[in-house]
Amino acid sequence: MKKYILSILFFTLPIIFVMFLADYFISNNHKKNHSYPGEIEVWNDIYAGNIDSDIAIYGSSRAWVHINPSILEDSLNLKAYNFGIDGHNFWLQYLRHKEYLKYNNSPKIILLAVDVFSLQKREDLYELDQFLPYMLWNKNIIKFTSSYNGFTYKDYYFPLLRYGGKIRKIENLFNLEQDDSIEITYRQNGFRGMEREWNNDLAKAKLKMSQYKIEIDSSSVNLFNQFLIESKENKIKVILVYTPEYIDGQKFVENRNEIIKIYKDFAIKYNLLFLDYSNDDLCTKKELFYNSSHLNKKGADIFTRKLSSELKARTHNRVDGSAPVATFLGKATMQAIHIENFAKENAANYFDYVFELIKKIDQRLIDKSEKTSIYSSRRLRS
Amino acid sequence: MLFNSIDFAIFLPIVFLLYWFVTNKNLKLQNFLIVISSYVFYGWWDWRFLSLILFSTIVDFLVGLMLSKEENETKRKALLWTSILVNLGFLGFFKYYNFFIENFTTAFSFFGNEIQPNSLNIILPVGISFYTFQTLSYSIDVYRKKLEPTKDFIAFSAFVSFFPQLVAGPIERATNLLPQFYKKRSFNYGRAIDGMRQILWGLFKKIVIADNCAEYANIIFNNSSEYSGSTLVLGAIFFSFQIYGDFSGYSDIAIGTSRLFGFNLKQNFAFPYFSRDIAEFWRRWHISLSTWFRDYLYIPLGGSRGGTWNKIRNIFLIFIVSGFWHGANWTFIIWGLLNAIYFLPLILTNNNRNNLEIVAKGKYLPTLKELSFMLLTFSFAAFAWIFFRAENIKHAINYISQIFSNSLFTFPIYDKDDYAKPIFLLILVFIIIEWFGREQEYAIARLSLLKHKGFRYAFYYAIIFIIFWFSGEQQEFIYFQF
Repeated sequence: MKKYILSILFFTLPIIFVMFLADYFISNNHKKNHSYPGEIEVWNDIYAGNIDSDIAIYGSSRAWVHINPSILEDSLNLKAYNFGIDGHNFWLQYLRHKEYLKYNNSPKIILLAVDVFSLQKREDLYELDQFLPYMLWNKNIIKFTSSYNGFTYKDYYFPLLRYGGKIRKIENLFNLEQDDSIEITYRQNGFRGMEREWNNDLAKAKLKMSQYKIEIDSSSVNLFNQFLIESKENKIKVILVYTPEYIDGQKFVENRNEIIKIYKDFAIKYNLLFLDYSNDDLCTKKELFYNSSHLNKKGADIFTRKLSSELKARTHNRVDGSAPVATFLGKATMQAIHIENFAKENAANYFDYVFELIKKIDQRLIDKSEKTSIYSSRRLRS
Repeated sequence: MLFNSIDFAIFLPIVFLLYWFVTNKNLKLQNFLIVISSYVFYGWWDWRFLSLILFSTIVDFLVGLMLSKEENETKRKALLWTSILVNLGFLGFFKYYNFFIENFTTAFSFFGNEIQPNSLNIILPVGISFYTFQTLSYSIDVYRKKLEPTKDFIAFSAFVSFFPQLVAGPIERATNLLPQFYKKRSFNYGRAIDGMRQILWGLFKKIVIADNCAEYANIIFNNSSEYSGSTLVLGAIFFSFQIYGDFSGYSDIAIGTSRLFGFNLKQNFAFPYFSRDIAEFWRRWHISLSTWFRDYLYIPLGGSRGGTWNKIRNIFLIFIVSGFWHGANWTFIIWGLLNAIYFLPLILTNNNRNNLEIVAKGKYLPTLKELSFMLLTFSFAAFAWIFFRAENIKHAINYISQIFSNSLFTFPIYDKDDYAKPIFLLILVFIIIEWFGREQEYAIARLSLLKHKGFRYAFYYAIIFIIFWFSGEQQEFIYFQF
């Protein structure tokens, strides 16, 4: 028996040693992967602890491809980084937030791009290979990814096993001759503007079903609440942003208003600024989108300028930036800056645009003043 | 618990150490540990169904005891039928209830009588077909007075629930396995190493061959209307290797694990794809089930004795029952029927026992004739597997009719990313290793003859490396569903 146990030990010890060694080597190679799309670049920045941003942009792909941090930086003179994670709801956005705060300085402001899917938890762990290099014994990753159909505990706790069968399928995972001098990044400060034209995603979805009902996941709502409490405790200002959605796509989600109301309620509960661009005139311009949920690069740049103008107006005119509804002055300033930006980009239609815009501003100001009076009276009552 | 899981990799050493270091001085305690471990192993999947195993164990234990005391033939028969009805009752309810209800409903509506189907949402307990057959063999053997009934309930429970072979066989006979629980087991280094080697080979078959073939077989079978005839042929070949790697791999792990605990289980697969005719194939494929049907169904029915019609009836009956044993679906019945049709000419011409020895025994290569017969037999088997794998009869017929279309002569296209190319190479290497190891109990058993430890270790490490590098997406063992 002693001989048998010793034989097994002598046989398995080199295997265990090689497993650790290969895990280290393969994980390092995988960290150079720019697929998934560019998610690993963001994780690398987080775990390297070299993000020093004043503004952190959170959200799904509707943050990632919509908000250009360099425009925010130029406009607001504040450093910004986009942490948008493709295909995931708030559950994994929060994981990224936790890891970011763990290894980096806290931001002053978090711009949280919310959308109809933020509170719907999917079953599969989308693009799960992005977690491979960092997940071994990582408590936060284990906590936030284990409820998905993706990894099992062997993947979290045993070296190398999570790469089993993937060596052939993931590019460069076992490449012995990686050239470290070539650095091609997919994202810039976490952002990627999509040079794409309108595709038929919406048409395809409509063929499958006339409307789609989002199932609101209560654990995601609780996590959202917890995040807002923690941010308040850590003195990080959270601004909720509902980035533009193409108008036709908005009709596709059956309970869209119910979901937006949840965000509005959170904004009121925690006295947050909620910038809702879902009715913005950008939403009617198909040429600025590549599908109903995503702006293309041109749209993203226009939108980010619009957003930065509004943020600028708020930080200049209302330092606390906490009003749930845009103020008269803030809104007017924002529109003025927007006209200026638009004029720079599209001088030919400038006068038509101004004429249309003045009409819209008139109407909006009437609406807003009505809403403000409703909120004021509600507040007085409470 | 799956053999190819980390759960099992942790479970096995714990049980092993407790077995040889804590309970080794007391046989009853050692058997009790096997029962507890087996119940943990099974309960890992769904603890609720442990009650079924326990009930079946109690019934057959009591029936065995009563049979030994009873001399009255009518009462003995009644006792035997109690055991048969309880075991087949469980099997019938959990496995076949919905099948019969749905088919009765269809039959009634065919004659214009619409009735509401009363099907139930029944979970099929893993391995029910295996352990019910194992306990049944005990009752039948005691009834036939071929076996002394046991008075040791713990030993009998361990025999029924022995974890290595509980959920997917081999279906052990009480005459072989039960006496092993009465005797003190002593640790044997050579046997334990041999067990480990067989486990390693079983894992290779399952994780590398079966799981990789499964990926492509699933793609091709699930989207069969989109593929050419030649690709569908490839799909059938992939499935043939999947089911062989999956099931024989499981048996290897089961037999190897048993060896670690000092038990010998019977060989369940003896290189069936090297068979030269379908009779030989069935002597080499799922041996424990084939011999079960032979001993408890075919021979009592008269076997190959009697007139031609008797022979034909018995052959069809045994293959149809065998098909039905695999699952409550017409596809399995057709699969059984096809095999009966393949088998029939051999038995009618008394050629069913021509090839009793392994092909090309003592030679490196087969003759051209042997090779052609092997290929022909494999083709017949692969063709029948189409029914086994298909979702329903219509799917199988469409699949086959598409094979025999003009696209049969085009180049198969099935893998956009070229991941399958190394799998072909692995299948080829697998066939070569199996070929050179075909005279052993399992293909790499011969390695023990290598005197140089370095070569042996290099081979083991190479297999481990291949398992890691080429492992396919984890799939459940196919035979769990039976």
